[in-house]
Amino acid sequence: MAGQPMQVYEVFRREREGGAMQHAGNLLAPDPELASHYAREFYGRRQESVRLWIVPRAAIIDLDDPDLLQPPFDRSFKKPAGYSTEIKAKLAAARARAGTEAEEAER
Amino acid sequence: MTAQALDGPVRTALADLLLAMADDEFVIGFWDSEWTGIAPILEEDVAFASLAQDEVGHAQALYRLLADLEGGDPDELAFGRRPEEYRHARLLDHPRTDWAFSVARRFLYDTADAARLDALVASAHAPLAAVVAKMRREETYHLLHMHAWLERLATGGQEPRSRLVAAMERLWPDALCVLAGIEGDDLLVEAGVLAEPLAAVRRRWLAGLAPELERLGLPPAPATPPTRCRGPERPDDFRWLWEQFTMVRRSDPEAVW
Repeated sequence: MAGQPMQVYEVFRREREGGAMQHAGNLLAPDPELASHYAREFYGRRQESVRLWIVPRAAIIDLDDPDLLQPPFDRSFKKPAGYSTEIKAKLAAARARAGTEAEEAER
Repeated sequence: MTAQALDGPVRTALADLLLAMADDEFVIGFWDSEWTGIAPILEEDVAFASLAQDEVGHAQALYRLLADLEGGDPDELAFGRRPEEYRHARLLDHPRTDWAFSVARRFLYDTADAARLDALVASAHAPLAAVVAKMRREETYHLLHMHAWLERLATGGQEPRSRLVAAMERLWPDALCVLAGIEGDDLLVEAGVLAEPLAAVRRRWLAGLAPELERLGLPPAPATPPTRCRGPERPDDFRWLWEQFTMVRRSDPEAVW
Protein backbone atom coordinates (compact mmCIF):
# COMPACT_ATOMS: atom_id res chain seq x y z
CA MET A 1 0.00 0.00 0.00
CA ALA A 2 3.02 2.27 0.33
CA GLY A 3 2.74 5.22 -2.02
CA GLN A 4 -0.71 4.14 -3.20
CA PRO A 5 -3.05 7.08 -2.69
CA MET A 6 -6.43 6.18 -1.30
CA GLN A 7 -9.34 6.65 -3.68
CA VAL A 8 -13.05 7.01 -3.07
CA TYR A 9 -15.21 4.29 -4.62
CA GLU A 10 -18.97 4.58 -4.91
CA VAL A 11 -20.87 1.35 -4.36
CA PHE A 12 -24.18 0.34 -5.91
CA ARG A 13 -26.09 -2.71 -4.84
CA ARG A 14 -28.92 -4.91 -6.06
CA GLU A 15 -30.99 -6.22 -3.20
CA ARG A 16 -32.70 -9.07 -5.08
CA GLU A 17 -32.71 -10.55 -8.56
CA GLY A 18 -34.57 -8.33 -10.99
CA GLY A 19 -34.27 -5.24 -8.79
CA ALA A 20 -32.58 -1.99 -9.79
CA MET A 21 -29.00 -1.15 -8.87
CA GLN A 22 -29.20 1.49 -6.16
CA HIS A 23 -26.56 3.66 -4.58
CA ALA A 24 -25.43 2.12 -1.31
CA GLY A 25 -22.64 4.41 -0.16
CA ASN A 26 -18.91 4.80 -0.58
CA LEU A 27 -15.56 3.72 0.80
CA LEU A 28 -11.84 4.42 0.61
CA ALA A 29 -9.42 1.91 -0.88
CA PRO A 30 -5.92 1.96 -2.36
CA ASP A 31 -6.84 -0.09 -5.44
CA PRO A 32 -9.79 -1.78 -7.21
CA GLU A 33 -9.14 -5.21 -5.70
CA LEU A 34 -9.30 -4.05 -2.09
CA ALA A 35 -12.19 -1.76 -3.04
CA SER A 36 -14.18 -4.82 -4.09
CA HIS A 37 -13.28 -6.60 -0.81
CA TYR A 38 -14.34 -3.64 1.27
CA ALA A 39 -17.54 -3.17 -0.75
CA ARG A 40 -18.39 -6.76 0.06
CA GLU A 41 -17.74 -6.10 3.75
CA PHE A 42 -19.76 -2.89 3.87
CA TYR A 43 -22.68 -3.76 1.61
CA GLY A 44 -22.78 -7.53 1.20
CA ARG A 45 -21.57 -9.51 4.17
CA ARG A 46 -25.01 -9.88 5.72
CA GLN A 47 -26.60 -11.36 2.59
CA GLU A 48 -28.23 -8.00 1.84
CA SER A 49 -27.07 -7.88 -1.80
CA VAL A 50 -27.00 -10.17 -4.82
CA ARG A 51 -24.78 -7.88 -6.91
CA LEU A 52 -22.48 -4.92 -6.30
CA TRP A 53 -21.06 -2.32 -8.67
CA ILE A 54 -17.92 -0.65 -7.40
CA VAL A 55 -17.05 2.53 -9.28
CA PRO A 56 -14.13 4.91 -8.74
CA ARG A 57 -15.70 8.27 -7.94
CA ALA A 58 -13.29 9.76 -10.49
CA ALA A 59 -15.07 7.76 -13.23
CA ILE A 60 -18.42 9.37 -12.46
CA ILE A 61 -19.51 12.25 -14.71
CA ASP A 62 -20.94 14.79 -12.32
CA LEU A 63 -23.63 17.11 -13.62
CA ASP A 64 -25.35 19.65 -11.40
CA ASP A 65 -25.71 22.79 -13.58
CA PRO A 66 -29.12 24.32 -12.75
CA ASP A 67 -29.35 25.82 -16.26
CA LEU A 68 -29.35 22.25 -17.56
CA LEU A 69 -31.28 20.52 -14.81
CA GLN A 70 -33.71 23.19 -13.53
CA PRO A 71 -34.89 25.24 -16.58
CA PRO A 72 -36.73 28.40 -15.47
CA PHE A 73 -39.85 28.30 -17.69
CA ASP A 74 -42.91 26.13 -17.19
CA ARG A 75 -42.13 22.66 -18.49
CA SER A 76 -45.27 20.90 -17.34
CA PHE A 77 -46.04 19.91 -20.95
CA LYS A 78 -42.87 17.81 -20.86
CA LYS A 79 -44.12 15.88 -17.86
CA PRO A 80 -46.16 12.77 -18.56
CA ALA A 81 -48.41 13.50 -15.57
CA GLY A 82 -49.54 16.94 -16.80
CA TYR A 83 -49.99 15.60 -20.32
CA SER A 84 -52.02 12.59 -19.29
CA THR A 85 -54.51 14.58 -17.19
CA GLU A 86 -55.60 16.46 -20.29
CA ILE A 87 -55.53 13.36 -22.47
CA LYS A 88 -57.77 11.50 -20.04
CA ALA A 89 -60.37 14.25 -20.16
CA LYS A 90 -60.28 14.28 -23.97
CA LEU A 91 -60.55 10.52 -24.08
CA ALA A 92 -63.56 10.51 -21.76
CA ALA A 93 -65.28 13.11 -23.95
CA ALA A 94 -64.51 11.11 -27.08
CA ARG A 95 -65.86 7.95 -25.50
CA ALA A 96 -69.02 9.74 -24.50
CA ARG A 97 -69.51 10.94 -28.08
CA ALA A 98 -68.74 7.54 -29.54
CA GLY A 99 -71.20 5.90 -27.11
CA THR A 100 -73.96 8.24 -28.24
CA GLU A 101 -73.17 7.61 -31.88
CA ALA A 102 -73.20 3.85 -31.32
CA GLU A 103 -76.62 4.00 -29.70
CA GLU A 104 -77.92 6.05 -32.59
CA ALA A 105 -76.55 3.53 -35.12
CA GLU A 106 -78.37 0.67 -33.37
CA ARG A 107 -81.75 2.33 -33.77
CA MET B 1 -22.68 -42.22 8.23
CA THR B 2 -24.30 -41.60 11.58
CA ALA B 3 -22.39 -41.07 14.81
CA GLN B 4 -23.48 -44.52 16.01
CA ALA B 5 -21.86 -46.20 13.01
CA LEU B 6 -18.41 -44.97 14.05
CA ASP B 7 -16.48 -47.44 16.15
CA GLY B 8 -14.33 -46.54 19.17
CA PRO B 9 -10.93 -45.50 17.82
CA VAL B 10 -12.35 -43.81 14.69
CA ARG B 11 -14.81 -41.93 16.80
CA THR B 12 -12.05 -40.82 19.20
CA ALA B 13 -9.94 -39.62 16.28
CA LEU B 14 -12.88 -37.76 14.75
CA ALA B 15 -13.63 -36.11 18.09
CA ASP B 16 -10.00 -34.99 18.36
CA LEU B 17 -10.02 -33.63 14.79
CA LEU B 18 -13.24 -31.70 15.43
CA LEU B 19 -11.90 -30.26 18.68
CA ALA B 20 -8.58 -29.30 17.07
CA MET B 21 -10.33 -27.59 14.13
CA ALA B 22 -12.84 -25.84 16.36
CA ASP B 23 -10.09 -24.59 18.70
CA ASP B 24 -8.01 -23.39 15.72
CA GLU B 25 -10.92 -21.33 14.41
CA PHE B 26 -11.91 -20.12 17.86
CA VAL B 27 -8.45 -18.95 18.91
CA ILE B 28 -7.53 -17.21 15.64
CA GLY B 29 -10.94 -15.55 15.77
CA PHE B 30 -10.13 -14.07 19.17
CA TRP B 31 -6.60 -13.00 18.30
CA ASP B 32 -7.67 -11.27 15.10
CA SER B 33 -10.65 -9.57 16.70
CA GLU B 34 -8.03 -7.59 18.64
CA TRP B 35 -7.52 -5.50 15.48
CA THR B 36 -11.00 -4.02 15.88
CA GLY B 37 -10.49 -0.28 16.09
CA ILE B 38 -6.76 -0.29 15.33
CA ALA B 39 -6.35 -1.82 11.85
CA PRO B 40 -4.43 0.24 9.24
CA ILE B 41 -7.57 1.86 7.78
CA LEU B 42 -11.23 1.92 8.79
CA GLU B 43 -12.21 -0.29 5.85
CA GLU B 44 -9.67 -2.94 6.83
CA ASP B 45 -10.80 -2.69 10.42
CA VAL B 46 -14.26 -3.80 9.34
CA ALA B 47 -12.88 -6.47 6.99
CA PHE B 48 -10.48 -8.07 9.45
CA ALA B 49 -13.01 -8.05 12.29
CA SER B 50 -15.50 -9.66 9.92
CA LEU B 51 -13.02 -12.42 9.04
CA ALA B 52 -12.42 -12.99 12.74
CA GLN B 53 -16.14 -13.19 13.36
CA ASP B 54 -16.52 -15.74 10.56
CA GLU B 55 -13.96 -17.95 12.30
CA VAL B 56 -15.79 -17.81 15.60
CA GLY B 57 -18.93 -18.79 13.69
CA HIS B 58 -17.08 -21.76 12.17
CA ALA B 59 -15.86 -22.72 15.63
CA GLN B 60 -19.41 -22.65 16.91
CA ALA B 61 -20.56 -25.02 14.14
CA LEU B 62 -17.65 -27.39 14.83
CA TYR B 63 -18.18 -27.39 18.61
CA ARG B 64 -21.82 -28.22 17.85
CA LEU B 65 -20.75 -31.21 15.69
CA LEU B 66 -18.52 -32.40 18.51
CA ALA B 67 -21.31 -32.02 21.05
CA ASP B 68 -23.63 -34.01 18.77
CA LEU B 69 -21.01 -36.74 18.50
CA GLU B 70 -19.82 -36.97 22.09
CA GLY B 71 -22.50 -35.20 24.10
CA GLY B 72 -21.92 -31.97 25.98
CA ASP B 73 -22.59 -28.33 25.42
CA PRO B 74 -20.88 -26.23 22.69
CA ASP B 75 -20.51 -23.21 24.99
CA GLU B 76 -18.97 -25.37 27.69
CA LEU B 77 -16.53 -26.76 25.10
CA ALA B 78 -15.64 -23.27 23.93
CA PHE B 79 -15.30 -21.50 27.27
CA GLY B 80 -15.32 -24.14 29.98
CA ARG B 81 -11.86 -25.73 29.64
CA ARG B 82 -8.49 -24.97 31.18
CA PRO B 83 -5.85 -23.44 28.84
CA GLU B 84 -3.92 -26.73 28.68
CA GLU B 85 -7.02 -28.58 27.44
CA TYR B 86 -7.26 -26.56 24.22
CA ARG B 87 -6.10 -28.37 21.08
CA HIS B 88 -5.32 -25.49 18.70
CA ALA B 89 -2.10 -25.52 16.68
CA ARG B 90 0.98 -23.74 18.00
CA LEU B 91 0.64 -21.20 15.20
CA LEU B 92 -2.18 -19.74 17.26
CA ASP B 93 -0.20 -19.44 20.47
CA HIS B 94 1.51 -16.28 19.21
CA PRO B 95 0.13 -12.86 20.16
CA ARG B 96 -1.25 -10.44 17.60
CA THR B 97 2.10 -8.57 17.36
CA ASP B 98 2.18 -6.15 14.36
CA TRP B 99 0.00 -5.97 11.25
CA ALA B 100 2.47 -7.89 9.04
CA PHE B 101 2.61 -10.63 11.67
CA SER B 102 -1.18 -10.96 11.82
CA VAL B 103 -1.40 -10.96 8.02
CA ALA B 104 1.33 -13.61 7.74
CA ARG B 105 -0.34 -15.78 10.36
CA ARG B 106 -3.78 -15.49 8.83
CA PHE B 107 -2.40 -16.16 5.34
CA LEU B 108 -0.64 -19.31 6.54
CA TYR B 109 -3.63 -20.41 8.58
CA ASP B 110 -6.29 -19.77 5.93
CA THR B 111 -4.36 -21.53 3.18
CA ALA B 112 -3.64 -24.54 5.43
CA ASP B 113 -7.25 -24.62 6.58
CA ALA B 114 -8.42 -24.54 2.95
CA ALA B 115 -6.31 -27.65 2.21
CA ARG B 116 -7.80 -29.32 5.30
CA LEU B 117 -11.35 -28.45 4.23
CA ASP B 118 -10.65 -29.87 0.75
CA ALA B 119 -9.87 -33.19 2.43
CA LEU B 120 -13.15 -33.12 4.39
CA VAL B 121 -15.73 -31.89 1.89
CA ALA B 122 -16.56 -35.45 0.79
CA SER B 123 -16.35 -36.83 4.34
CA ALA B 124 -18.26 -39.98 5.18
CA HIS B 125 -19.30 -38.19 8.36
CA ALA B 126 -22.16 -36.39 6.61
CA PRO B 127 -22.76 -33.66 9.24
CA LEU B 128 -19.09 -32.66 8.94
CA ALA B 129 -19.22 -32.62 5.12
CA ALA B 130 -22.24 -30.31 5.32
CA VAL B 131 -20.53 -27.85 7.70
CA VAL B 132 -17.33 -27.94 5.65
CA ALA B 133 -19.24 -27.10 2.45
CA LYS B 134 -20.54 -23.93 4.13
CA MET B 135 -17.17 -23.04 5.63
CA ARG B 136 -15.48 -23.30 2.24
CA ARG B 137 -17.85 -20.74 0.74
CA GLU B 138 -16.86 -18.20 3.40
CA GLU B 139 -13.20 -19.11 3.13
CA THR B 140 -13.25 -18.16 -0.57
CA TYR B 141 -13.31 -14.53 0.50
CA HIS B 142 -10.78 -15.03 3.30
CA LEU B 143 -8.33 -16.46 0.79
CA LEU B 144 -8.86 -13.65 -1.73
CA HIS B 145 -8.31 -11.08 0.98
CA MET B 146 -5.22 -12.68 2.46
CA HIS B 147 -3.56 -13.28 -0.93
CA ALA B 148 -4.20 -9.59 -1.67
CA TRP B 149 -2.57 -8.48 1.59
CA LEU B 150 0.39 -10.84 1.29
CA GLU B 151 1.12 -9.42 -2.14
CA ARG B 152 0.82 -5.82 -0.95
CA LEU B 153 3.11 -6.25 2.04
CA ALA B 154 5.63 -8.27 0.03
CA THR B 155 5.84 -5.65 -2.72
CA GLY B 156 4.89 -2.51 -0.81
CA GLY B 157 8.30 -1.15 0.13
CA GLN B 158 11.13 -2.02 2.45
CA GLU B 159 9.51 -1.80 5.86
CA PRO B 160 6.33 -3.80 5.15
CA ARG B 161 8.40 -6.39 3.31
CA SER B 162 11.00 -6.83 6.04
CA ARG B 163 8.30 -7.11 8.70
CA LEU B 164 6.46 -9.69 6.61
CA VAL B 165 9.59 -11.76 6.00
CA ALA B 166 10.49 -11.67 9.70
CA ALA B 167 6.95 -12.77 10.63
CA MET B 168 6.97 -15.65 8.16
CA GLU B 169 10.35 -16.88 9.35
CA ARG B 170 9.08 -16.82 12.90
CA LEU B 171 5.75 -18.50 12.11
CA TRP B 172 6.64 -21.14 9.51
CA PRO B 173 7.50 -24.07 11.80
CA ASP B 174 4.38 -23.54 13.91
CA ALA B 175 2.23 -23.08 10.80
CA LEU B 176 2.97 -26.69 9.82
CA CYS B 177 1.19 -27.67 13.04
CA VAL B 178 -2.19 -26.71 11.55
CA LEU B 179 -1.90 -29.92 9.51
CA ALA B 180 -0.31 -32.09 12.20
CA GLY B 181 -0.81 -33.35 15.73
CA ILE B 182 -4.01 -35.35 15.30
CA GLU B 183 -3.70 -38.93 16.54
CA GLY B 184 -5.37 -41.51 14.32
CA ASP B 185 -5.75 -39.52 11.12
CA ASP B 186 -4.91 -42.77 9.28
CA LEU B 187 -7.99 -44.36 10.89
CA LEU B 188 -10.07 -41.43 9.67
CA VAL B 189 -8.77 -42.00 6.14
CA GLU B 190 -9.66 -45.70 6.33
CA ALA B 191 -13.17 -44.84 7.52
CA GLY B 192 -13.63 -42.31 4.69
CA VAL B 193 -13.97 -39.39 7.12
CA LEU B 194 -10.82 -37.72 5.79
CA ALA B 195 -9.63 -38.00 2.16
CA GLU B 196 -5.91 -38.35 2.91
CA PRO B 197 -3.58 -38.36 5.93
CA LEU B 198 -2.69 -34.93 7.34
CA ALA B 199 0.93 -35.27 6.18
CA ALA B 200 -0.37 -35.60 2.60
CA VAL B 201 -2.72 -32.64 3.08
CA ARG B 202 0.29 -30.68 4.34
CA ARG B 203 2.37 -31.56 1.28
CA ARG B 204 -0.49 -30.56 -1.03
CA TRP B 205 -0.85 -27.24 0.81
CA LEU B 206 2.87 -26.46 0.60
CA ALA B 207 3.13 -27.49 -3.05
CA GLY B 208 0.24 -25.14 -3.82
CA LEU B 209 1.87 -22.22 -1.99
CA ALA B 210 5.39 -22.66 -3.35
CA PRO B 211 4.99 -20.77 -6.67
CA GLU B 212 3.43 -17.73 -4.98
CA LEU B 213 6.10 -17.61 -2.25
CA GLU B 214 8.82 -17.94 -4.85
CA ARG B 215 7.33 -15.21 -7.03
CA LEU B 216 7.16 -12.85 -4.05
CA GLY B 217 10.57 -13.90 -2.73
CA LEU B 218 9.16 -15.00 0.63
CA PRO B 219 10.69 -17.66 2.90
CA PRO B 220 9.82 -21.26 1.95
CA ALA B 221 8.42 -23.77 4.45
CA PRO B 222 10.76 -25.77 6.70
CA ALA B 223 10.83 -29.53 6.20
CA THR B 224 9.09 -30.77 9.33
CA PRO B 225 6.70 -29.48 12.00
CA PRO B 226 7.74 -29.26 15.66
CA THR B 227 7.23 -32.43 17.71
CA ARG B 228 4.51 -31.04 19.96
CA CYS B 229 2.00 -29.25 17.78
CA ARG B 230 -1.20 -28.98 19.81
CA GLY B 231 -0.40 -28.55 23.48
CA PRO B 232 -0.74 -29.31 26.30
CA GLU B 233 2.05 -26.83 27.07
CA ARG B 234 0.95 -23.29 26.31
CA PRO B 235 2.87 -20.03 26.52
CA ASP B 236 1.83 -17.05 28.63
CA ASP B 237 0.51 -15.28 25.53
CA PHE B 238 -2.20 -17.89 25.07
CA ARG B 239 -2.94 -17.95 28.79
CA TRP B 240 -3.48 -14.20 28.64
CA LEU B 241 -5.89 -14.59 25.69
CA TRP B 242 -7.69 -17.39 27.53
CA GLU B 243 -8.12 -15.10 30.55
CA GLN B 244 -9.66 -12.53 28.20
CA PHE B 245 -12.07 -14.75 26.32
CA THR B 246 -13.26 -16.68 29.38
CA MET B 247 -13.46 -13.63 31.67
CA VAL B 248 -17.17 -12.94 31.32
CA ARG B 249 -18.18 -16.57 31.57
CA ARG B 250 -15.99 -17.20 34.60
CA SER B 251 -17.56 -14.22 36.34
CA ASP B 252 -20.88 -16.11 36.41
CA PRO B 253 -20.86 -19.58 34.82
CA GLU B 254 -24.58 -20.05 35.53
CA ALA B 255 -25.67 -16.89 33.72
CA VAL B 256 -28.19 -17.32 30.90
CA TRP B 257 -27.61 -15.17 27.80
